[in-house]
Amino acid sequence: MDLHTQTTETFDENARRALIDPQLRSALRKLTVTFGERRAQAIASVDDWEGLRERARSIKDETLAHLDKYLADFADKAERAGAQIHWADDGQDVCRLIIRLLQERNAKQVVKSKSMATEEIHLNAALEAAGITPVETDLGEWIIQLAHETPSHIVVPAIHKSKKQIADLFVEKLGIEPTDDVDKLTSAARRILRQRFAEADAGISGVNFGVAETGSILILENEGNIRLTTGLPKIHIALMGIEKVIPRFADLDVFLKLLPRSGTGQRLTAYQSIITGTKKSRGDEGPEEVHIILMDNGRSRMLGHPVTRQSLACIRCGACLNACPVYQQIGGHAYGSVYPGPIGAVITPQLIGIKKAAQLPYASSLCGACREVCPVKIDIPELLLHLRAQIAEGTAITTEAPQRKALESFAFRMYAFAWSRPWLYELGGRVLRVLQRPAVREGRIGKVGKLMSKVLPPLGAWTAWRDARPLAPQSFREMWRADNPPRG
Amino acid sequence: MLARIREHLTASAPFDRVHHENQKKDEAGQSFQVIEHPTSYSLIDLFRQALESVNGSCTIVADEAEAASSLKQVIELNQLHRIAISDSPIVGRLMQQVEGTAEVLSNAEPEALFNCDGGITGAQWAIAETGTLVLETKSERHRLVSLVPAMHIAILAGARIFGTMPEALAAVSTAGELSRTVTFITGPSRTSDIELTLAIGVHGPARLHVIVIDDVKQTV
Repeated sequence: MDLHTQTTETFDENARRALIDPQLRSALRKLTVTFGERRAQAIASVDDWEGLRERARSIKDETLAHLDKYLADFADKAERAGAQIHWADDGQDVCRLIIRLLQERNAKQVVKSKSMATEEIHLNAALEAAGITPVETDLGEWIIQLAHETPSHIVVPAIHKSKKQIADLFVEKLGIEPTDDVDKLTSAARRILRQRFAEADAGISGVNFGVAETGSILILENEGNIRLTTGLPKIHIALMGIEKVIPRFADLDVFLKLLPRSGTGQRLTAYQSIITGTKKSRGDEGPEEVHIILMDNGRSRMLGHPVTRQSLACIRCGACLNACPVYQQIGGHAYGSVYPGPIGAVITPQLIGIKKAAQLPYASSLCGACREVCPVKIDIPELLLHLRAQIAEGTAITTEAPQRKALESFAFRMYAFAWSRPWLYELGGRVLRVLQRPAVREGRIGKVGKLMSKVLPPLGAWTAWRDARPLAPQSFREMWRADNPPRG
Repeated sequence: MLARIREHLTASAPFDRVHHENQKKDEAGQSFQVIEHPTSYSLIDLFRQALESVNGSCTIVADEAEAASSLKQVIELNQLHRIAISDSPIVGRLMQQVEGTAEVLSNAEPEALFNCDGGITGAQWAIAETGTLVLETKSERHRLVSLVPAMHIAILAGARIFGTMPEALAAVSTAGELSRTVTFITGPSRTSDIELTLAIGVHGPARLHVIVIDDVKQTV
């Protein structure tokens, strides 16, 4: 499957293709079951999980309501500690800035640790175009970089690939001996990437949390590549979305309890690095320069309404992906965006414009599983409905919208007319019970689906994949009247 | 950008009022309970259990002399030949008592570190609940020594073990200036990026051993 042709605009087609990919389906089953179970075990080790979620959300709400103040504080404290702060309006700004910083220092090779923000702005492509070689160092990210693919999950980016595919890739690209041993594959990665670390002129990382009180950034990981990326090269550039700031250092506790448990089902990931500014003296360890880029790229727009603002509370744990019955079936690539799953379905349209991603808010059954697992209690169904309303109200118009809208509103007017008149409702029931007779087979209405897609194509989308239950021989109202004869 | 943020927040104000009325207000800052530890365990035992559950190992010793002999044993058992040590005073003292065949590098340059099979550091604090070591750059140059060699050995004073994360966060942020880097280490380096299969020792050490000097016989 060519991943590069999958965009947000071809969601429907992407999803269909994913559904007939047995290897993807089995990888997704394994992922979502395993992560679901691990998460459940991990949250059981916290006494008051609900209270913790409430705390996290109220901290995020407080921050977002005064984001200007907390960002200014963060920038001020970080600068005082020796970091250099840059403000970037959009992805292009960030790419230009990073390229300038690297070119001014004659940096040709950079190591990168996993950062969804850099994926969001397609930083690697921009660096390559400028003659700079970026090397992803997170094992999963490196695998997909070698394969020229994109992440399919925000925590385990190469989850769509089988061990066999990865082994074949390593044999082809790295010339290792064929193996099906995960430890051997991992140690091959360690050996080769160490070379890249040693050669690197600069390291680029993301940020999980920025602390306004101290100007610190905190980054979590399991592999150690982030510690190398931020510790070994002379220059460290950290890309931070403006929503990553939290007020106080002590607030980290809440998020360190929530994020690993929700993401990988760990009580704590192997490493957390809390970096505050740069070297205090020549003898100190670490890079000579630390640059923190504060990126907007569509985020400040989301502040403008309480419903959309909660999108900025997301801590990128991926729990909603694992819990979502849609993601469980189609995986990440079908969403055509670096942010897949329920959170992707609400963030992507807001980031790239609802017109380009108008199908995504509909990629949900509104079952609410995402809201249940979200560690910061984002009401994703509410957000999905909010975005759907914007689409329906014509704030965003897709190519097929006008016709669908006319038909839809006609259908709903008829529905309202019939359902508000009891006699018509009952008559309709009786008529349908007679009409359905020839179509009922083994207690289900089957054939109508195909017929419907010819007569009324928009409804066919619904009936083509579902057998309807026939109406019962007697309606509830009829049964009620039979049991409760009118008095007098 | 800050102006734009203010503008959007101002635009949201009327919606916020409606939103707040429709939603029953959460009790902000609601308190939540900290996990109660079984009182029969000491923090050191809890630390060891948690560390072992994330593939680390641990020896508990009574004093520095015992720590030195334990350290020698660990080095021999793991057949370490080139060892980088941090500039922590306790590590220096112990290594003077450890006589062995291993080559010892202090203040190793990054290039030399890549050829070491062991790294020894102290640890300023630890968290019993999760088996976590807390290292601060203001106390020792630990970042690469604890990361690059295939095995990391840490020396920890038992009195420095906290029960939970909030205490450790308070300790690193209130005792004077915050270190340039504070590193939390919970077990050896790991990944499950290939088919969710756990592999230990991807970019960081594959083995982590902690020697706890039980200088106070404290219990919870």
